[in-house]
Amino acid sequence: MRHAAKTAARFLRRFWHGLREWCGDAAYESYLRSKATEFSTCRKLTPAEFYIEQLNRRYSKPNRCC
Amino acid sequence: MKRLFVIIVWILVALLGAGAFAKIAFDRGEPLNATWFVAAAICCYLVAYRLYSAFIAAKVLALDDKRATPSEVHDDGRDFVPTNKWVLFGHHFAAIAGPGPLVGPTLAAQFGYLPGTLWLIAGAAFAGCVQDFVILFCSIRRDGKSLGQMAREEVSKRGGFIAQIAVLAIMIILLAVVALVVVNALKSSPWGTFTLAMTIPIALLLGAYLRFVRPGRVLEASVMGVALVLFAVVAGQWVAESPAWAKVFTLSGVGLSIAIIIYGFAASALPVWLLLAPRDYLSAFIKAGAIFSLAAGILFVRPQILMPPLTRFVDGTGPVFAGKIFPFCFIIIACGAISGFHSLISSGTTPKMIFRESQARLIGYGAMLLESFVGVMAMVAACSMPPGVYFAINSPPAIVGASPEAAATTISGWGFPLQAQTMVDTARSVGEQTLWNRAGGAPSLAVGMAQIFSNTIGGPRLLSIWYHFAIMFEALFILTVLDAGTRVGRFMVQELAGKVWKPLGRTGWMPGILFSSGLIVAAWGYFLYQGVLDPLGGVDLLWPIFGIANQLLAAVALVVATTILLKMGRVKWIWVTLVPTAWLVAATMTASFQKVFSSNPAIGLLSNAAGLSAKMARGLIPSAKIAETHRLIFNRRFDAAVTAVLAIMILVLIVEALGQWYQILRRQTEPVLHESPYVATRWAADYSGTAHGDD
Repeated sequence: MRHAAKTAARFLRRFWHGLREWCGDAAYESYLRSKATEFSTCRKLTPAEFYIEQLNRRYSKPNRCC
Repeated sequence: MKRLFVIIVWILVALLGAGAFAKIAFDRGEPLNATWFVAAAICCYLVAYRLYSAFIAAKVLALDDKRATPSEVHDDGRDFVPTNKWVLFGHHFAAIAGPGPLVGPTLAAQFGYLPGTLWLIAGAAFAGCVQDFVILFCSIRRDGKSLGQMAREEVSKRGGFIAQIAVLAIMIILLAVVALVVVNALKSSPWGTFTLAMTIPIALLLGAYLRFVRPGRVLEASVMGVALVLFAVVAGQWVAESPAWAKVFTLSGVGLSIAIIIYGFAASALPVWLLLAPRDYLSAFIKAGAIFSLAAGILFVRPQILMPPLTRFVDGTGPVFAGKIFPFCFIIIACGAISGFHSLISSGTTPKMIFRESQARLIGYGAMLLESFVGVMAMVAACSMPPGVYFAINSPPAIVGASPEAAATTISGWGFPLQAQTMVDTARSVGEQTLWNRAGGAPSLAVGMAQIFSNTIGGPRLLSIWYHFAIMFEALFILTVLDAGTRVGRFMVQELAGKVWKPLGRTGWMPGILFSSGLIVAAWGYFLYQGVLDPLGGVDLLWPIFGIANQLLAAVALVVATTILLKMGRVKWIWVTLVPTAWLVAATMTASFQKVFSSNPAIGLLSNAAGLSAKMARGLIPSAKIAETHRLIFNRRFDAAVTAVLAIMILVLIVEALGQWYQILRRQTEPVLHESPYVATRWAADYSGTAHGDD
């Protein structure tokens, strides 16, 4: 029973994590975690700056199909 | 022992699929149950994925997990982000799944359920999935380069330019035709129009929340937005029941098209965070929810298929669109089986986020199988309503007659019994004033979906809510394609215009933004407007041209893929891309030729224009309609020219590629492959892989 609960909890945790990544909720955290950001000498973007920059990049090339 | 067990299981899956297919193809007794469609599709997908995609991955592409992908080599936390394979699968599927796999199969249902279902399943397994998978692989090996860049490098400079122009042309036709589908779904529908109109202030609210209150907190904003949109669906009923408000939201086709054109311009010119992005979030959640609900509903309700396997319209005289099964079934189905547009996604964001090369199989091949399944569900929804109702919704009055009684008589005469009162009752049950002449596929699909949903939850009482939920779902993500496409089209126009006058190429310069947005909106707005005014409803005119353009782009993608395989020395396996290329070229060139030159005025654009000219010359057109007829003649000639130019451009590219293939095969030139240099992955050692879906 405890094993099943643990498995379910692990599944839900991973599902939640995946959902946040899929919809873009975790994009800023991924940006902070990336090695390029970690070792960069440039100033890190704030959440608001990153959000706008990410949207402008994403919607400048085909990203929704027929 | 275990291996034997696995083999037996796969043999059973294959036998079940073959049995279900045989039942669909040969059963002529009682109406079929939709479960057979689901079983045939899922078993075929499983076998195709397990065997064919594995063969392509191992033998044809020789995927190499020791080779670093662009997300590792260029990891910048922005474009190049190593991503869990299931998350990327979701991203890729959300990007490729648009209105095409819903509308195309619904329109193709006029041939009966059999041709469309066969092509949806076989076309996806042997053509669409192969295209997406191989192009994704090619782009991964080239640092995530686009299809146009690969065409320029691997085929010829002219090939790259042709691909760029073809993409822009297809984008314009696509945007016009999807806008027309929305217009036909919402005209004279205050409930639907109100619901869709409400998504704009909801998106603005979300945009402001995500920009100023909680930047980037997409999930919580989307939950709020989805709740508000669902409330708007319910509130639409109150609007429709109020005479004063119903009048405000009852728009004609022309009124709706002008509103959509203004919306497209605004979405392209306004900051992306304000309107476009929040609408996209809403659309993604509702799309995913509606598709999974439809699948669950079909399995729960198991509706009977009322459409015959083949209708009398296989002879090309169909009222929804004219033309025989070959080539038009393969053109009309479009994205559910193969879509050239997918190659832009497979060579866009996805290759920059993939973690390992082997994951291209799941994401490229697997996501397209899921899209094909969406197409099969749309076919089930369209074919589970009485065929008479299906034809009444999708046929223009110019073919079936202007009055309900005349239309019912015509449709009954085709062998699909229908009474005018049935349409009145159906319209009333879904909360609409009328369902006659709603060509475009969206309303008939919504009726089918609403019947499946209401049989699952709520019964007939909730039929009208479910219908408008389905209409909102279709219109919402069609408008998302429209605004995102208009913005991308604006960037393409700016890129081209920047070559003529540099300031126009600056994406942050307001006059340049307004000029390029205006140009792209005017281009698709023109096609939309001519479709709205067309006496046959416009969809029968524009959807085949869109299908031809989309399949031609698929031919470009497959030609590029074949060239790359040849250069890689995989001559033995080039049939994997060459056979679907040959089929696509045959189908699209035949369709293009027929659309332009067929002597049947229902199909041939030039003969239709000539017929109208002759009528005018003989004085058979009333003087009040002379200006309109002049416009129709011009539009048909213009559409014929667009179709011919697209076909000729693609032929030029194919001829160039053939020349190169000949030289490679005769060893006249040393093939030069423009792959990025090999870099061994470091992640094999220091990454567990589980975080990226490698478990």
